[in-house]
Amino acid sequence: MPDSVFRRMAAEGARIPLAVDLVLHEQPDPEAILTDGERLGRVLEAHAFRYGSPAAFPRMDLRLEKRDLLQRLGLAGDEADTYHFLAPPPEEAVARVRDGAPGAFLPAHQAHFDSIRYIAEATSLFPVGMTIGPFSLATKLVADPITPVALAGRGLAADDDESILLFERCLEMAEATVARSIRAQLDAGARAVIFCEPSANAVYLSPRQLTAGSDILNRYVVQPNLRLRSLLDKAGAAWFLHDCGELTDSMVKILGETLHPAVLSLGASRCLWQDAALVPEDVVLYGNLPTKTFYSDAAMPVERVAELAGQLAEKMKARGRPFILGSECDVLYVPEAAAAIRRKLEAMVAA
Amino acid sequence: MADLQKLYEAVLNGDNKTAVAVTREALAENADPIELIQKYMIPAMAEVGKRFECEEYFVPELLLSARAMKGALELLRPLLAERGAEPTGRVVIGTVKGDLHDIGKNLVASLLEGGGFEVTDLGADVPPEKFVDAVQARNANVVCLSALLTVTMPAMRTTIEALKNAGLRDRVKVLVGGAPVTPQFAKEIGADGYGENASVAVNLARDMVKASSHA
Repeated sequence: MPDSVFRRMAAEGARIPLAVDLVLHEQPDPEAILTDGERLGRVLEAHAFRYGSPAAFPRMDLRLEKRDLLQRLGLAGDEADTYHFLAPPPEEAVARVRDGAPGAFLPAHQAHFDSIRYIAEATSLFPVGMTIGPFSLATKLVADPITPVALAGRGLAADDDESILLFERCLEMAEATVARSIRAQLDAGARAVIFCEPSANAVYLSPRQLTAGSDILNRYVVQPNLRLRSLLDKAGAAWFLHDCGELTDSMVKILGETLHPAVLSLGASRCLWQDAALVPEDVVLYGNLPTKTFYSDAAMPVERVAELAGQLAEKMKARGRPFILGSECDVLYVPEAAAAIRRKLEAMVAA
Repeated sequence: MADLQKLYEAVLNGDNKTAVAVTREALAENADPIELIQKYMIPAMAEVGKRFECEEYFVPELLLSARAMKGALELLRPLLAERGAEPTGRVVIGTVKGDLHDIGKNLVASLLEGGGFEVTDLGADVPPEKFVDAVQARNANVVCLSALLTVTMPAMRTTIEALKNAGLRDRVKVLVGGAPVTPQFAKEIGADGYGENASVAVNLARDMVKASSHA
C-alpha cells in the first residue's frame, strides 16, 4: 500500500524538507529545466538523494492548474497569473471545463507530469505528484474570495448575491481542473499526490461562522476534496494533504478526521505534538519547521533551527505518533540567502 | 427619522445593505456626513478592530465590516468633496515586484478606505518605479508594501531605495507586511513600520499620519 511508504519513513525518523526549488537553482539553467520533464525528474531524484528520501517529492508550483484552466477557456494568455473572473462565468464555460474540454497541457505542466514519469520509470523512488487543491484554486480565480465565502457562511446563497455565484462557479471549474491534473499525474505513475490547500484557513473561512454551525468548510473544502480523493482511491494512490494556513483546532480535527489523508502537512503556526491528539492515529504528520524565516539569520539563527528540530522530533516521538520532520511549506530559492537556507536545512536534518 | 444607531450596528455587523440604506435615509433628511462618519462609522470600525484583536472577529468579519463602511462612504464622498474635507491620509499600496499575492494587500486597502484614507491600490507585482510615480502623483504620505514570499521580500528593499533615490523618502512613511516579513526585516530595510495584520497596519498608518502632521 502506498500509505505504508510514508509510515515507514516516519518509523525510520525521516527528515525531509520540501526543497526541490533550492536543488533546481543549483543548476545552470533552472528556467529551461522547468519545461523539460526528464531533466526536472533528475532534479527530483537529486533532491531525494540529498535528503535520503525513498520518495521523490515534486517542486511546488501552484500556478499550473490555474494556467491550464484559463488556457482551455482561451482566456488571459500571459496574464493568467493575475487574471480574475469579474463576473460569474457562463454556464456553458463551466460545463465545458466540467465535461473535460480537450486540450494539451502547457509545457511547464507537461514537464511536471513527465518528471513524475521519469521517477516512476527510471528510478526506484516512490513517485509523488502535486496539485493545488480545488478551494485554493478557486480563491485564485476571483479578486476577493473572502467576501463570497463569508456571505455564504451567513447563510446566503448564489441567488442572493452574485459574488457567491461567481465563487461557486469558479469552485466547480477548479474541481474539474484539479481532477484533470490528478488523472495526468496518476497516468504518469504518481503513487501519491500532495494536495495543497493553503487557502483552507481561518482567513478565508471564519472560525466565528464555523463555531456558529456554518457548513462552508464542509461544502467548499471537504466535499470537493473528498470527490477528488476518490480518484486516488480508485488508483490505489495515497493522499498527502498540505495546508500551511492559519488553522483552528477544530479545523485541524475536521481536516484530519473527515478527509483522513495518509499524510497531513501543517504550517509552522501549529503545534504538531498537540495536533497529534486531534487527528486519527494512522495519519502521518509532516512538518513543520518555520522554513519561511530561514532566509534571515537574525530572525532564525542556525542554532535555533537545530533546537526546534530536536525539540519537535523528541516531542513527536514521545507522543508515539507517525511523524516526518520537514518544512512548513515549499522551501524557495532566495538568491541573496540561498547559502543561509541550505545551512539551516542541513542543521534541521542533522539535529 | 433615520435611526443612526442602526448605521453603527450595520458597520459593526458587516451588513452592507443596511449601512447603505440608513446612510441614504439620513442624507435625505440632511444629516451631516461628517457626523455620520465620526459618531457612528469610525467608532463601529474601531470596535471591529478591537474584536479582531481579541479574536472575537476574524478576517472575514473584518472584510464584511469594511465593505459596509465603504458602501456608506461612497454615498458620503461627493458631499465631503464639496465641503473640501481632507481624507485621514493618502496611501499608496501594492504587492511588490515578482509577487502576485494580493489578498492581504486587498484587506489592508479595504480597511484603510474604511478608516477614511484615500487609497491608491497599485495591485500586485508592482515595480519600484510605479510606487515612486504614484507617490508623486497622489501626494501620498504613506506607502504600504506587501509580500507573501521570501523570494520577493528583497523587492521591498529596492522599492524603499527607489523612493530614496527619487527624493521622496522623507515625505512618506513606509509600512511593510506579509507572512514572511518580520519586524527585524522591516528595520533592516529601513521601513518605518511593520503591520503584523491588517488592523495593526491601519492603526499604524493613522498614528504615522498624525505624528507627521504634528511634526
